[in-house]
Amino acid sequence: MKYKSKHIVPIGTEGIHVLNTGDWRIQRPLIDQEKCIKCGICLLHCPVNSIKKTDGKFIITYDYCKGCGICAHECPKKAIILLPEEEK
Amino acid sequence: MQKVEILNGNKAAAIGAAMSRPGVVAAYPITPQTPVVEYFSEFAANGEVDAAISEVESELTAMSVVTGASLAGSRTFTATASQGLALMYEPYFRASTLRLPIVMAIVNREMISPQSVWGGQQDSMSVRDAGWLQMYAEDNQEILDMIIQAFKIAEDKRVLLPINICYDGFYLSHMTERVLIPEQEKVDAFLGSYKPEHIILDPEKPMAVDPLTNGVLVMEYRNKHLKAQQNALTVLDEVDKEYGRLFGREYGGAVEEYRMEDAEYALVTTGSMSGAAKDAVDMQREKGIKAGLVRMRMIRPFPKDRVCKALSRVKSFGVVDRNVSFGWDTGIVYQEVKAALYDGDNKVPSVPIIGGLGGEDISVGMMMDSIDRVVKAAAEGKNSECIWLMNEEEAK
Amino acid sequence: MNAVDKLASMEDMISPGISACVGCNVELALRTCLKVLGPNTILAIPPGCMGGVGVVGWDMETGAKVPVFFPLLDNVASMLAGIKMHYEKVGRKVNVVAFAGDGASTDAGMQCLSGAAERGDKIIYICYDNEGYMNTGYQRSSATTKYSWTSTTPVSKEGRGGKKQNKKDFPMIMAMHDIPYVATCSPAFIPDMVAKVEKAMEASERGLAYLHIFNPCLTGWGIKPELSIEACRMSVETNFFPLYEVIDGKYIINKEFKNPKPVKEYIGYMKKFKHMNEDEIAEIQELVDSKWKRLKRLSTL
Repeated sequence: MKYKSKHIVPIGTEGIHVLNTGDWRIQRPLIDQEKCIKCGICLLHCPVNSIKKTDGKFIITYDYCKGCGICAHECPKKAIILLPEEEK
Repeated sequence: MQKVEILNGNKAAAIGAAMSRPGVVAAYPITPQTPVVEYFSEFAANGEVDAAISEVESELTAMSVVTGASLAGSRTFTATASQGLALMYEPYFRASTLRLPIVMAIVNREMISPQSVWGGQQDSMSVRDAGWLQMYAEDNQEILDMIIQAFKIAEDKRVLLPINICYDGFYLSHMTERVLIPEQEKVDAFLGSYKPEHIILDPEKPMAVDPLTNGVLVMEYRNKHLKAQQNALTVLDEVDKEYGRLFGREYGGAVEEYRMEDAEYALVTTGSMSGAAKDAVDMQREKGIKAGLVRMRMIRPFPKDRVCKALSRVKSFGVVDRNVSFGWDTGIVYQEVKAALYDGDNKVPSVPIIGGLGGEDISVGMMMDSIDRVVKAAAEGKNSECIWLMNEEEAK
Repeated sequence: MNAVDKLASMEDMISPGISACVGCNVELALRTCLKVLGPNTILAIPPGCMGGVGVVGWDMETGAKVPVFFPLLDNVASMLAGIKMHYEKVGRKVNVVAFAGDGASTDAGMQCLSGAAERGDKIIYICYDNEGYMNTGYQRSSATTKYSWTSTTPVSKEGRGGKKQNKKDFPMIMAMHDIPYVATCSPAFIPDMVAKVEKAMEASERGLAYLHIFNPCLTGWGIKPELSIEACRMSVETNFFPLYEVIDGKYIINKEFKNPKPVKEYIGYMKKFKHMNEDEIAEIQELVDSKWKRLKRLSTL
């Protein structure tokens, strides 16, 4: 038998399994930085940790954003809008 | 100098385990194993062992705690019997498939129903295909020696599998015998310490243990597991010899052969019944019958080459099983011995024998009768029907 | 540092791409808790949603940056107890953590959890309560609220049915073990959750620390993804799932509302309750009220 694994036990040592969940999106959130009051509620509630704080500004990253819409819904100033994801 | 003590089987097991310096111990009391837990707790209370002990609330937890501790890197020990073994089957199975060198004593007790707390080998025999190594002791000295050797075999890098040391409930567990205790420093040198390199749960070396796995990999891991079990036969021989050099007791590896050099009629036995069988062999020899005994010390892996060779010149043989194989009209070891012989050239008549269930005694007289049946089978030239060793007097 | 800055600066210890449902608040809770727990953590994920979505990994890859493993559904707390015993013996401080569903905690794994609590095993046990065995198709558990549609307590063609029994009050059961720390958490109250994880880490040096997170399941209960956090908030604001702590036997209510919203508003969020009639809704309101009264009483002790 030709072995795929160098281990004798089922262990995961060949890196982290990352699913391209950004691919799931049918709508994309966008922050209107003018309206944003920097409360951070969007960052607190993003399930995929896709909202970052850089130099005091809140930025959405799109690698893993699933387009759930929670950030837009929770924003107290309605500063986040959801646009349809572009066709690939 | 090895100290002499008068010990019952449970205390021999507890001392063997204590001397092997496990890091974590967790066991749930169950008749006839309970004194093992009690003795070990006493050792700990008196500061005679350094192990962390968990007072678990069931056998499921006992096997889970030692599995967790072993995954974190501890040498571990536990013990159970029949119903407890059945209860822990879920974590028990994966202890072997995660290749954790846990040592567990099984004090053989009949499986319920009927309600029985007395000796029988159904419990450990039923789980022989869960991937553990399995050995059976004949007397209390062997229990102590086997437990110490078990850690060495299990932790060998060619094996890395958990191991059961089985001994008959009440016949060995509660019977006292003269036992020699090896010297602690020599045991320390013999065993060394356990440092897992194949699997670990440690933030300094993060990994996933047991991710969801595809079928091809499953087959690969099973293949490696089967090979490791076969390696255990070689490792047992090496450990047996080394132990003999260090402590003066060598047992012959996976199988003990008693007067088999010129035997024409053989009995195959497992566990404490072998004592009565050896007496019967001697008595038959005095009558001119060339009887011999093959005692199974290791059941998993099944030492098929040794068994095949040991029975290669007999005219017939019988296997005494302290268990039943549901679905075959015989005992379990009988079927395994026959399977082993299929690889060899000596296809001779055989006699399946079942006795000693639920704590019933297998007497020297019964063993004499069994050998007579084996002789008869050779004369008739065919396999016998299953013989049940029943005490006629008590049955009335 | 406030919670936002804390969570913004802490490292996400879970794979960034796992196949949890869109908007899943269990995923949110997992990432939040693990950020606070940090890299010196061993994580147990029993069979269930988080295991199924890849947190333990696939084949030869892992799903987390910390050591992570699958315990059995029924022995989570016991395996963790054994792991912790080893680390205590060798003198190393490590967070030994379970992130387990209600199936593994209130049903199959309850014996092991109760035993570990009674023995004082020094582990952190986080239960994510989505009221059912959601990963395998929304079967009922003892944590499921009465009248919930589940696949094993379905609603008949005539529109009657759902689970016949009440939700087992598991945080209270854990509190009755007299462990050093019990707390209820909600993904709608993240700063509160962060503080509670920190307290649990400290308490686990003295015994078992238990966190019970309430996670309305979007797919299993029929809630729109963007309403995920709002449904969580509603469960707290109706007193359906009050936020409280039990610290060394003292009951502390964290959020009290002068005018709690009627339970009907919470029930209205989810398809699993849409067959309920007025009497049944009133029954749930009564249950919520009586449990709140009990909690208030306990907090005066």
